[in-house]
Amino acid sequence: MRPRFRPLGLALLIALAWLVATPPPSDAQTPKRGGTLRVSYGNEIANLDFHTAPGYEMMWVAMNVGCSLTNITPDGKFVGDAAESWTMSPDGLLYTFKLRKNVLFHDGTLVDAAAVKFNIDRMRDPATKSGMRPFYEPVHSVEVLDPQTVQVRLKHPYAFFLHMLSAYRTGLILLSPTSIQKYSEADRKQGKAGSIIGCGPFKYVEWIKGSHLAMERFDKYFEPGLPYLDKVIIRVIKDPVTEMAAFKNGEIDFIASFSPEHVDTIKAQIPKAQILTGKETTPMLVAMKVTVPKDGKPMSPDRAAHPIFGDVRVRKAIGCYGVDRQEIVKIAFKGQATPWVSMGMPGTLDSVNLNHLCPYDQAKAKALLAEAGYGPAKPLTLELMTNTEKSVFNIIATVVKEQMARIGVTANIRLVDKVTWMNTTLGDAPWDMYVEDLLSLLTIDSNGYLSSAYVSTKSSAWSHPRHTDTKVDEYYERYAKELDVKKRQALAKEIQEYMVDKMYWNVVSGSPFYMVAQPWMKGYTYNAEFEVHYHKVWLDK
Amino acid sequence: MRIYILRRALGIIPTVLMITFVVFVMMRSVPGDPVVSLLGDAYTEEDAQRAREEYGLNKPIVLQYFIWLGKLVRGDWGASILTGRPVLQDVLIRLPVTLELIVLSMGVALVIALPAAIIGALRQNTWADYTATTAAMIGVSIPEFFIGVLLLLLFSIGMGGFLPSSGWVYLPGTCPSMICGAGLWGNAQHVLMPAIALGVGRAAILTRLLRASMLEVIRTEYVTTARAKGLSEGPVVFKHALKNALIPTVTVMGLQIGFLIGGAIVVETLFAMPGLGTFGIDAIIARDYQQVQGFALITALAFVVMNLLVDLTYTFLDPRIRYA
Repeated sequence: MRPRFRPLGLALLIALAWLVATPPPSDAQTPKRGGTLRVSYGNEIANLDFHTAPGYEMMWVAMNVGCSLTNITPDGKFVGDAAESWTMSPDGLLYTFKLRKNVLFHDGTLVDAAAVKFNIDRMRDPATKSGMRPFYEPVHSVEVLDPQTVQVRLKHPYAFFLHMLSAYRTGLILLSPTSIQKYSEADRKQGKAGSIIGCGPFKYVEWIKGSHLAMERFDKYFEPGLPYLDKVIIRVIKDPVTEMAAFKNGEIDFIASFSPEHVDTIKAQIPKAQILTGKETTPMLVAMKVTVPKDGKPMSPDRAAHPIFGDVRVRKAIGCYGVDRQEIVKIAFKGQATPWVSMGMPGTLDSVNLNHLCPYDQAKAKALLAEAGYGPAKPLTLELMTNTEKSVFNIIATVVKEQMARIGVTANIRLVDKVTWMNTTLGDAPWDMYVEDLLSLLTIDSNGYLSSAYVSTKSSAWSHPRHTDTKVDEYYERYAKELDVKKRQALAKEIQEYMVDKMYWNVVSGSPFYMVAQPWMKGYTYNAEFEVHYHKVWLDK
Repeated sequence: MRIYILRRALGIIPTVLMITFVVFVMMRSVPGDPVVSLLGDAYTEEDAQRAREEYGLNKPIVLQYFIWLGKLVRGDWGASILTGRPVLQDVLIRLPVTLELIVLSMGVALVIALPAAIIGALRQNTWADYTATTAAMIGVSIPEFFIGVLLLLLFSIGMGGFLPSSGWVYLPGTCPSMICGAGLWGNAQHVLMPAIALGVGRAAILTRLLRASMLEVIRTEYVTTARAKGLSEGPVVFKHALKNALIPTVTVMGLQIGFLIGGAIVVETLFAMPGLGTFGIDAIIARDYQQVQGFALITALAFVVMNLLVDLTYTFLDPRIRYA
């Protein structure tokens, strides 16, 4: 007689089979080793000389090929990278970094105190032509105390020294002194094999401009078991529609910078996609030029007031009361941005909401313009420059043009390409107003200090409005030197209020930043544009 | 014939020089220079001046041109101001991609245009003719990028990634780097949509042109004679009529090379292909003068050489044509 299967027994058998076949839930969160992360950039990498090249695209490669002394977490805490620990002297003039013993460059040489000194000194050397050089101005000297200990002496206290080392632009990217000395700048720029030797989790493999950049796991990376990925391949897909198609098809895992205007579309089409964003750190500007060269020579220190915006009443009429920030955000960003006035963005350290200082008030704007001599008898006409880099600039320019018309001002839009815009603004050529988002700000200091954007006395090319108000310089100096957090916050508020009052830097809103990841990409920590690290990323597929 | 080819080949030199000179002057006349892109965030006026001196950008334009020409004669196409990469090396890496795209898009154009034009001419004023001419009109009217986006929606997104939306897989043996896919099937998948996007517009033009030529030729006496001699329709159409009707079409095909290169810029950007089109547009946007010159030189050479080949094709199509 054949034994009969009982229903209970069958159910138990099925349950047992299911248990064997299905991994426990916790396994799904255990990082898996291997695989290739396929990343998409919207713009081409400028070049690979990490200490000099411009652009976020280069920076996001540099952060993975190179290591730093310290990094910063999204909540503003400093964590050691090549440095195991660090101390600051009570007067804020001495920083002592104790290095880990097991950090190697990709060529096998040790990341020691001498290598750190070499790299910092290189950044400070004018011959290097690094964009980071202004940030190292407070550094007096770097001393090697022993192979594992390096000490940086400052000329004066600099409250943001660790911020700067961690995340101003690339932060301090440590490169192998051997490779720096062996290869030329031209070799590094073009990514010649062997010329780019960092100490990060990934080794640089190759860069075929227009095609891809490849990195592969550095097996001797100092953090045990990391990175998880075998390779990272970065491709450039400029067209957002194609980028979305590639993402939807699973051809790419991660979009490193995604156009805000397409976020709703990708949410609707790919509901499982991870949309990564945070508080805005980049300001959207409707900038106004404050001075022009008196002798007609660009960048001349001899300045005269700009014929329109040299008058603070006009700046306030237009930039403060004449611009409806809510409307700009509603139309240009579909409400997905923060209307903002202060120069410190919502995601920037020590930022203050000063929106109450500039309420949209057409009557007040008209009154100020009348006080400055403009009205029906003498209508004000100005040029509003925008560029082709992002479509949102042109939308904002159109909205601003309409808002200007409401207060009796004619704004003629001038559309140029990005390079022309840069030439015009950096080269002190004639312009009245422009729309652009500029400089992702970790701290307010990173704004003022970045090529001295506001510091009139240094005649920085990046000080586009070119005000000559030395009070701003004094504010910045005091702010950067103040080590007491509370006093510094009070100063930050003062600076921001002063900048709004004088309308030297006319912010209208935040410029949102988005990254998009496939549901199977795990372990990535979003930290805006400041820190893009793939060492803990793994692929759950 | 040899003397003719030699004469035409020599004629290429002033043409190419003229083109490169015009491009050289025009690029330096538009606002902006590469130093701004080169320095980026690190821009200071002092560094900009130094960089301009270093790259010779402060010299008179004509002198700069002759310096570039002098290097070119020695086989040096210069190096990118932004990346330092040798221009010739980048051009040679990207040329095969664009070449394949152009050849295949012309193939797509011919595959569509030849039957459409022949049917349209032989069945004039019938539904087949109207269909062919209407389709041709639509094809001419739709820009490449729009066709490209439609193809993306249909074959890439709509069919669950049946055709990849972007990127490139090289033909076996042509991969220029350490990491890149290579394979016939992969290559075909990647080139199909761009080739169709670029080829449809050309197909429309060729269809209209060839149909008109065919209508003219099939009414000529020698075609009537061929039919009167009892030849079947096949040889009459393909051997006698089509061959002669192709002469103006071949001329236009040669001239279309310029449009194809222009179209390649759009299509390569849309499909993120690492070809000469994206190379050229990136160079222009960044004002990378050396790369722009390299792009202008290679496209000018391609254009004049293709037109020389077209002229030589005439002798095959019509034995009465002789070059001396």
